[in-house]
Parts: sequence; C-alpha cells; structure tokens
Amino acid sequence: MVIQMVYYLIVCRSLTYAQRTEKALHRAGISAHILRSPKSIDSEGCSHSVKVSERSLAAALSVLARADLSPKRIFVTYGDGSYQEVGL
Amino acid sequence: VTAYLDSAATTLQKPPGVARAVGAAVGSLASPGRGGHRPAMLAADVAFDCRQAAAELFHVHDPEKVIFTLNATHALNLAIKSLVKPGDTVVVSGYEHNAVTRPLHALGCQIKVAGGPLFDPMATLAAFDRAVTAEVAAVVCTHVSNVFGFILPVRELAALCRQRGVPLILDAAQSAGAVPVHMDELGCAYIGMPGHKGLYGPQGTGLLLCGEGQTPRPLLEGGTGSLSAQSEMPDFLPDRLEAGTHNMPGIAGLLEGIRYVRSRGEEKILRHEQALAAQCAAGLGSLPGVTVYAGPAGTQAGVVSFTVRGKDCEEIGDWLGRQGIAVRAGLHCAPLAHGSAGTLQSGTVRASFSDFNRPAEVSRLVSAVARAVS
Repeated sequence: MVIQMVYYLIVCRSLTYAQRTEKALHRAGISAHILRSPKSIDSEGCSHSVKVSERSLAAALSVLARADLSPKRIFVTYGDGSYQEVGL
Repeated sequence: VTAYLDSAATTLQKPPGVARAVGAAVGSLASPGRGGHRPAMLAADVAFDCRQAAAELFHVHDPEKVIFTLNATHALNLAIKSLVKPGDTVVVSGYEHNAVTRPLHALGCQIKVAGGPLFDPMATLAAFDRAVTAEVAAVVCTHVSNVFGFILPVRELAALCRQRGVPLILDAAQSAGAVPVHMDELGCAYIGMPGHKGLYGPQGTGLLLCGEGQTPRPLLEGGTGSLSAQSEMPDFLPDRLEAGTHNMPGIAGLLEGIRYVRSRGEEKILRHEQALAAQCAAGLGSLPGVTVYAGPAGTQAGVVSFTVRGKDCEEIGDWLGRQGIAVRAGLHCAPLAHGSAGTLQSGTVRASFSDFNRPAEVSRLVSAVARAVS
C-alpha cells in the first residue's frame, strides 16, 4: 500500500528568508525544513520553500504572522507530483 | 618571534577556531542556494549563522540586511554608490580613508570636509553641524581613525543627521569588534566594515549592514540562486548585493571570529587595546625626539601614531621590521587624516593592537625605538 503524504510548501523570496522562516517555526516547535522549490511551481526561476505537514500549516501561518514573516506563495501537494496553490 | 602590531591593517593572531573553520569549510561547504544537497545546505546554514551573529553583535533587526562583501572598501563602495549621484555634495570628516574619498572623487562629488583637530570630538561635531546643510546628499564618517585611533563622536553625529534628514554612512573599519557599533541606535543608512580586522575573520571578508528603508544598488550583477528566470537582479536583500559564489571558507572563519568577539565582549576588548595604546604612548613619549599622537582618555582606540625627529617614517618602520616588530609606516591610505593632523609631509609610524597583543610586545617596541633614536 502506498501512503500519499499531504504537505505544504511555503515559497520564500530568498534562501535567507526561508532560513528565517524555518527557524521561526522550529522555535515554535513546528517541524519544518527547507528545500529548493519544485520547478513546476516556480515560474520566476530558482527559489526555496519551507516544507510543513498538513496538520501544522495553520499553526505555522500563525507563527509566521507573529514573526512578521510573509510567505510569497503556498502550495499543497498530495505526494503525487502535482501542486496546487493555496490562497493566502 | 614577530611582535605583530599592525592590526589596523589586518589582525594576524586569530582565535584558533577561525583557522579550523576555514580548513573544514574547504572540504565540506559548497555554495549556499545553489543546490538542495547536503554540502550546499550546510553552507547555507553557516552563511545564515554568520549573518545572524553579525546582526546580533551590531543590533540589526533582520539578518537579511547583513551583506557579505570582500572587505570594508567593497562595502563602502556599495553604500556610497547607492546613495550618492555624480555631482552630489557629501560631507566627510577630516579623518577619512581612501576607501571613502576615492569613490566620492570618482563620482565627481563636491566633498565638504568637516575638519577638526585630533582628539577633539566637540570641534569635529561643531564642524559637522556647520557643514550638514540642506543640499547635502549624504554624510560619510569613519568611526575610528585608522591612522591615529581617534574615536569620532558618531552617536552625536548620527543624531544630527537624523534630525536633518541626511543619510549617514559609517565606516566601521577600525571599530567593528573593538568599539560597540549599534545600528539600531545610530539609525545609519549603511555601515561598512572588514571581517579581517577586529572581527578576526580571514582576509577577503567584510560586511555591509543596510539600514531601514534603503534600496542599495548592486556593484556586480550575476547569479544569486534566486529568481533565475529574471534578467534583473532581485530587489530583495541579501541576494541583490551578493552576485556570484560566496567565499564560504572566509564566511566560516568570520563566523568564528564574531563568536569570539561576542564571547569576549567589545567593551573588554576596547579596554585591553586602550591600555596597550596608553602604555605605548607613555613609553614612546618619554623618548627624546619622538612625537606621539595621543589623546585624552576615551578619545583614542588601540592605534598610536608617532614620528621620530630626523628619521624617515618608512626607515623606522623598516628597521622595526628587521627587529621582528611589525608596524606600518607612511600615509596608511589616509592622506586626508594626515592632512588634518599636520603629518601629510612626514607620514607616521603606526602601532595598532588587537585583543591578542600583550604588554611585553609594547615594551619591545618602545625599547626598539629607544635604540633607534639613541
């Protein structure tokens, strides 16, 4: 049986911004890690995203709002290689 | 063993962690932002940690406003060429380095010098008060003179600039790591500094701290690992000013140097260097024919210049070098400072100290100069 994990990608404007985002989430006890944004969601070229689990997204957005960190865009993926943008 | 007393040029003795970090980086850190693999992400972590450590040391709210540069000259060129247009009027102190005056000359600026006697902060401030008028595009001021160690009144100058709405660029080449530099309090537009002096990093490192609301102009365009499909440089920091591959061994070393400064404390380092400078000034000042440029307590950091009657400063510097004492003689790339102090024709011999110097090294210098003048 293949379990398809749902997770979110918080696209950041720069690697440094992604690092600030990841560290803010870690400080709040939310598991997150940085990866290069998939090419399919990155029309402007290279960027970095912070990956969080489905159940962490709401808490993550709340933490980022308090830290004055603004995600550029957010995508959800169901582990099947497709990405859908989530309205902010 | 060389008594190394030329830290105003580059600190030679570094905390042991610096060389270890540089060596380790060569074989383990790739390019931050240029891959998702472990060596690239490790490099990204080190670069971020270094920005964060610098942001905390210099009270910058946001580590994205900490830019890696090649040295202080690079940082100051970025700052000046972001704020100043050809033909603008710019006010500088009488103690600026060529890293400030040459870019301003290259831009064809009207340079107003807010001159004042050595070690007289009130006179310097009064000169700025007169010079900073409505048409001034920017003020550029060194925090500590690289020739004489004169600590300029930058807190008061920053208040003056804020009051008159004129952006201030601070040259922290001699102060960073040894005299507290507080971006948040000063409200500077930019602060430029080397990594290889008071921050104890390797040569080839420097930092530019960007103030709130600044939109700096790149000196270099190229790859940043971000917005790669776009023809223009990104409009966000630090990417906007960091085209090309980072000096990761240098940044790893700089991080260790900044950690050392933070653990030791700038105030403690300053007191140590000032004590050495006072010992040096007193010792040299007691020698016949030696003129020492020393200021009242609190006006001079760990840099002391002197001249010897009837001797060329370069000859003295060369002779001391042959005795195993490393100092710097000449104009120290700061003819404006020498003009202000009246030493443009003679130059000076400069001894400059770091946290790693000891009183015995100063005694050795004084003894050697005593032999030279006898």
